[in-house]
Amino acid sequence: MTAEQTAPSGVAAMTTMPTRPDEAADANLRERLGEFRALLVISLLMTESVDEDQILELAASSAPGLGPWRIDGYGFTDGSWRPGIDDGTPIPSDLAGQLVSLGNGAGIVELPGRGWAWAFPLRSVSGLLGHLVASCEREPSAEERFLIQVIAQQTGVAVSNARLHARERATAAELAVTNAALAETVTNLQRSMDIHERLTRVAVSGEGQPGIAKALHELTGMPVAIEDRYGNLSAWAGRGKPDPYPKESFAKREHLLRRLMRDSKPVRDGERLILLASPRPDVIGVLALVDPQRRADNADLVALEHGATVLSMELARLRGIADTELRLRRDLVHDLLAGTDDESAQARAEALDYDLRRPHRVVVIEGKGRSRAHDDLLSAVRRAMRQVRQAGLFETWSGNVAVVTAGQTDWEKLRRLIVSDLGGGQCHIGVGGSCARPSELPRSLREAGLALRLQKTLLPGSNACEYPKLGIFRMLAAIPDLTDVDKFVREWLGSLLDYDARRKAELVRTLTQYLEHGGNYEATAAELSVHKSTLKYRLQRIRDLTGLELNNPDVHFNLQLATRAWGTLQALRDER
Amino acid sequence: MTGTVSSGIDEIDLQPGSHVCAFYRGDSDRDRLLTGYLGAGLTAGDKCICVVDSAYTAKRLELLPRTCGGPGPFDGQLDIHLPESTYLAGGEFTTSDMLTFWTESMVKAEIEGFTFCRLVGEMTWALRDAPGVEHLVGYESELNRVTSSYPVIVLCLYDLDLFSGEVVVNIVKTHPQVLVQGILVENPYYVGPDEFLRSAHA
Repeated sequence: MTAEQTAPSGVAAMTTMPTRPDEAADANLRERLGEFRALLVISLLMTESVDEDQILELAASSAPGLGPWRIDGYGFTDGSWRPGIDDGTPIPSDLAGQLVSLGNGAGIVELPGRGWAWAFPLRSVSGLLGHLVASCEREPSAEERFLIQVIAQQTGVAVSNARLHARERATAAELAVTNAALAETVTNLQRSMDIHERLTRVAVSGEGQPGIAKALHELTGMPVAIEDRYGNLSAWAGRGKPDPYPKESFAKREHLLRRLMRDSKPVRDGERLILLASPRPDVIGVLALVDPQRRADNADLVALEHGATVLSMELARLRGIADTELRLRRDLVHDLLAGTDDESAQARAEALDYDLRRPHRVVVIEGKGRSRAHDDLLSAVRRAMRQVRQAGLFETWSGNVAVVTAGQTDWEKLRRLIVSDLGGGQCHIGVGGSCARPSELPRSLREAGLALRLQKTLLPGSNACEYPKLGIFRMLAAIPDLTDVDKFVREWLGSLLDYDARRKAELVRTLTQYLEHGGNYEATAAELSVHKSTLKYRLQRIRDLTGLELNNPDVHFNLQLATRAWGTLQALRDER
Repeated sequence: MTGTVSSGIDEIDLQPGSHVCAFYRGDSDRDRLLTGYLGAGLTAGDKCICVVDSAYTAKRLELLPRTCGGPGPFDGQLDIHLPESTYLAGGEFTTSDMLTFWTESMVKAEIEGFTFCRLVGEMTWALRDAPGVEHLVGYESELNRVTSSYPVIVLCLYDLDLFSGEVVVNIVKTHPQVLVQGILVENPYYVGPDEFLRSAHA
């Protein structure tokens, strides 16, 4: 029920009994004073109310108790109309115009069917709010008009207060929203600072990747995984560690890494939120939050991003240590190959946790894979050595890779592994003799180089050549003065060498391969990559120029010795 | 009894024989008035008689004596009624029946040994569609006569969310005291019961 409820009729229907004039005047005065008291109460109620509709309703519904007039409604300055009574009487269309023409004042208005109608201003401290329109069957008395005027004035004040209160409430609500947003920002900042502090502590404490995973798990409450670029698990924190740890295909992994590099932000990959940690292009780690319920919020993402930054720092530090060790190893290998004293070499090797006191040899590897980068060959050699379970010190050397190793292995198998790692191409290996002391390693290097060159020029079919097994070549290479050897070569091959030099031919090489293949035409032609008839032509040319019969055993022996000596001389000259 | 008694509401003291109409908005405001008024009476050892509009409110008020820490005897100190057995007993409202009810209740309290009574009525029943409710204002006026001759204070509760401004005006005009927004408004010019009856019977 609303305030439209009408009063029980007792008081409203009061009439005055026939009395003496003094009594009548006294009763009238008492009634007027009683009405003022009632008006005071109505004013109190309106002033205390913060609901504009409630105020207007109370004012309108109190009118019948205060006199024979009524409040028809309220016309506000914004043009709106709020009815005071709801008796179905239509509001004249020109009423708004009438009210505007009154300005801030009160005045008569035209209401159809009403004997008297006035509009009283609803004023507030900030100006005119509108008008209260009251009407009566007859013109009200001065006292009654005064009551209407007072209730209009009180209604204006109460409405003004209510609007002010509503504005304050709206401002307070806005302020509350702002405060809430500020509190949220402060909370987020605080959490961000906590994240920063926690992970920074991990970064400086040297807890490594397990520490980073643990800190991130504690900050987010989710399991955390750190993987290397190939998807191998480096660290895990939290429950549910998969065993065995799943590993995706190479292609899928590469696709994921490319996506992470492109986006530079956390990426959802199934149940995981992942982010790349890559301090430099060749160093990559992957940090993953395991979040199957997809409940990670902004703070979790901040923690993940900060964790990735700390992981990048850790990976850079680890790579820096590795690079430094690698550089020190390379410097040591370089000095060993160039020649250094045993004591300092062994001390430096020990510092690198490498035992150089065992006999070592030098292995020189020449490779031409699809990629010509020396680093690729160096990496391929390292991996191949690991596969054949051989330790060693590695360095690039004159475009090749030199390995100082104590091991002895199947060098041909090593060569094939290198070729496979390079993805095809060529590879030759020369193995030097064993050295008891580090200071002897330059000799082993020379032997390895010589073996490499000899097998390339004189020893077809063998791509891994060990100097200690070179036989006559090793003897020839060991002769300090090669003058007599050179004379011997000129004696037997001089005419052919001159012909080759003059005609840019390959008669010495042809003869060499013919003799090394035991006079087999087909094998020789295949080695030289020429047709058999071409080979026969060249051999006839050799016979003509030398006047020698190749089938004569003595001639055959001397020519083979001469060609091997020539090869050795060539290799030694190349070395110099 | 001479002097004033504490109403238990907003530190307002009342003269014995006072009949106050209190206006409030909503149930929580009503409960504040009821518990303050009756709590003070229970604590002071007064006989408290109240009529509330719902069984739910009555149930809650039954717990009130246990929450008062005063020296009162409490047993039988608080009578709680519903309109069906008081204002609207017999299905209609008659002023005389209701005044008789109050008078008998006060006499009974005196016999039981109580020296002072507090009456309170929630007037929302007057909005029901029942015969005689139109005599509400006359009843309120006539009640002034009854209360003036007993050691009693009376509180009539009107919900402003339910009663119109016209009722407020008429109640103020016929009552010597009105409690509104924590202020006791005196009306020395109120229409007394004799004058009201003269007017009503004219």
